[in-house]
Amino acid sequence: MGETVKLFVNSQEVEVAAGKNLIDALAVAGIQIPHFCYHPALGADGNCRMCLVEIEEGRPPVVPACKTPAMEGMKVVLDSAMIKKVQQDMLEFELINHPVDCPVCDQAGECDLQDYYMAYSLEESRMDVPQVNKKKKLDFGCGVVHDQERCVLCGRCVRFTRQITETGELGIVNRTDAARVDIFPGKPLDNRYALNIVDLCPVGAMTSSDFRFKQRAWFLTRDKGVCHGCAKGCNMYIDHHREKYGDDIIYRYRARTNLQVNGYFICDEGRMSYHLQNNDRQTETIVGGASVSFDDGIKAVVEKLNQAKKPLMIVSPNSTVGQMWAVLRIATLYGGDVSGYSDGYIIEGSGDDYLIHEDKSANRRGLELLAIKQDRAHLLETLGNADLVLNFDNDFHFSAHDIEVAKLLSEKDYVAICSHRLTAFETASVVIPIASYSEYDGVIINHDDVIQRFSRAVHKNNPPKDIVEITRLLGGAITDWKRAWPGIRQTISLLREVEPDQIPEEGMKLMNSGEPDVTA
Amino acid sequence: MSDRSQLISSGQPFTFDSARDAEFERLIKRYPIRESMIMPALWLAQEQEGWLSTEAIAYVAERVGTYPAKVFELATFYTMYHLKPVGKYHLCVCRTLSCYLREKQEIVDYLAAELGLRPGEVSEDGMFSLEEVECLGHCGTAPVIQVNGEFHEEMNVEKLKTLLAGLD
Repeated sequence: MGETVKLFVNSQEVEVAAGKNLIDALAVAGIQIPHFCYHPALGADGNCRMCLVEIEEGRPPVVPACKTPAMEGMKVVLDSAMIKKVQQDMLEFELINHPVDCPVCDQAGECDLQDYYMAYSLEESRMDVPQVNKKKKLDFGCGVVHDQERCVLCGRCVRFTRQITETGELGIVNRTDAARVDIFPGKPLDNRYALNIVDLCPVGAMTSSDFRFKQRAWFLTRDKGVCHGCAKGCNMYIDHHREKYGDDIIYRYRARTNLQVNGYFICDEGRMSYHLQNNDRQTETIVGGASVSFDDGIKAVVEKLNQAKKPLMIVSPNSTVGQMWAVLRIATLYGGDVSGYSDGYIIEGSGDDYLIHEDKSANRRGLELLAIKQDRAHLLETLGNADLVLNFDNDFHFSAHDIEVAKLLSEKDYVAICSHRLTAFETASVVIPIASYSEYDGVIINHDDVIQRFSRAVHKNNPPKDIVEITRLLGGAITDWKRAWPGIRQTISLLREVEPDQIPEEGMKLMNSGEPDVTA
Repeated sequence: MSDRSQLISSGQPFTFDSARDAEFERLIKRYPIRESMIMPALWLAQEQEGWLSTEAIAYVAERVGTYPAKVFELATFYTMYHLKPVGKYHLCVCRTLSCYLREKQEIVDYLAAELGLRPGEVSEDGMFSLEEVECLGHCGTAPVIQVNGEFHEEMNVEKLKTLLAGLD
């Protein structure tokens, strides 16, 4: 924890980190102070007055917790009659013109205003004058829909566009009870991170047009995941749900804080990539154009492998370290070559200097560390020699990239082991459906050498198998990536000290010990 | 306070005339932070056109080097900025606490009846416009009204009659 200070909260002694404000310092100790406008990424603004706390013998005696650093010996009071009155009064102010339309509001169930009202107020409204009407369902651009009446004017969204994206599309216009968030006429939100505003909004004023009215917050299972949209590996929550008689599907991704990787936010592209986990999935097993059972599909592939003189295995830069390792092992078993050719995943100029990387693959470092060749010349050479090609979910055709490779592949005996129906797999004679990254667990290494572990979130009714299981069915010896870890660790010197179960939640920056890698 | 967020487009591009351009350049040297110039620049634009159109606000943002939304905030916050054309005589009645307690409503009601206007409107002949504004800082001599920026203190209906008679 570093340097700490001891202070008293409601007469209880608490030890917290020094140098933080009371909201953050006490949150670590499990003590919540209600607040709307403060957010660690945006700093203290002090406009909402919801976090007022009493400091015994303090001058002044009532201070906003967001602007008050935790100090040695401080006596913080959160439950005095005065503070309870302050909290109740602040909520009464916030609710004067609030429509209280929780039953039709997307935020219900995860709304700070709703939660605080239940915790600190529960007062009847005393208002007998008409409410101030403002605009609803405003299209702010980038999929952000704004309801001015639900807004508590905390200004998080405005500060986000000014401090984080530096695009400044939003402002609080008018004053007094007519104040509202708005865009300048004809200048809607126009940045690649705009949907973070929906996460940031403490109430239901900012909603996502993609998620609106699709699912109630309390039905969602919130699992932790790592985005596979680019080489950054941003942390996010996978919010998914199985409707009665339906299948487990993902309704949205939300940013998950990881100061080592992505901070507090994720890009919009990554956020929307959840659609690809639900849609265009390969679910059928196909042999020679006909739909067959999964087992028959595997049998067909094993037969082909046994007859092949020189199979080629293509691995994906999105696969986990364990999956890549498993493919390497069966390639050795069948005397095949391995290629990780995936130039198409790199879209030049698509990155920025914040979170978006131009390499749209999640684990290229894994390929590199396992010394899997990625160059095109090697692929063309091995493809020329091969009499059977097994593609383990590598969308080499990413962004309609390599037509020549596609043509060469179509002339080969081509087996696609894939999670999605994509152009790259169209010419395959055998297609085996597999799991996508929300449906298995493993480790990936981002472009910055941070190794991150993620767990399975989605449990489909017919759970597709992941690549490790497929290699096992094809005769491989690896049953579980964690059991294979000692072998992986021996091959990659950078992972020598890494124990999968000990990778912390925020990932681990890999440090080279200086030993040379053993070639796989 | 009414909603002032509906900006009106003049349909024409806005730029400072040469005198105001020079004044802008003279004033901006005073401020270590360029954004401090937003309010004087809005004032110059209003002086030139009589009111602030969407184009004028966008121009000020570009000229100062800030976000249009930020200038939008300021222009809608202060009632001294006119977001639509006003009459030849623009009457502002203070509606904040001291004036409120000293019967500003009588003044508003009288003016509204006399001029046939509701607050926020301009008379058909373009002579008068009426607006209720936030505190004008003359609480000691409430109620107070402004006619084209000029203060008239301790107002009552009798005084208003004289005042209006002198305006035509």
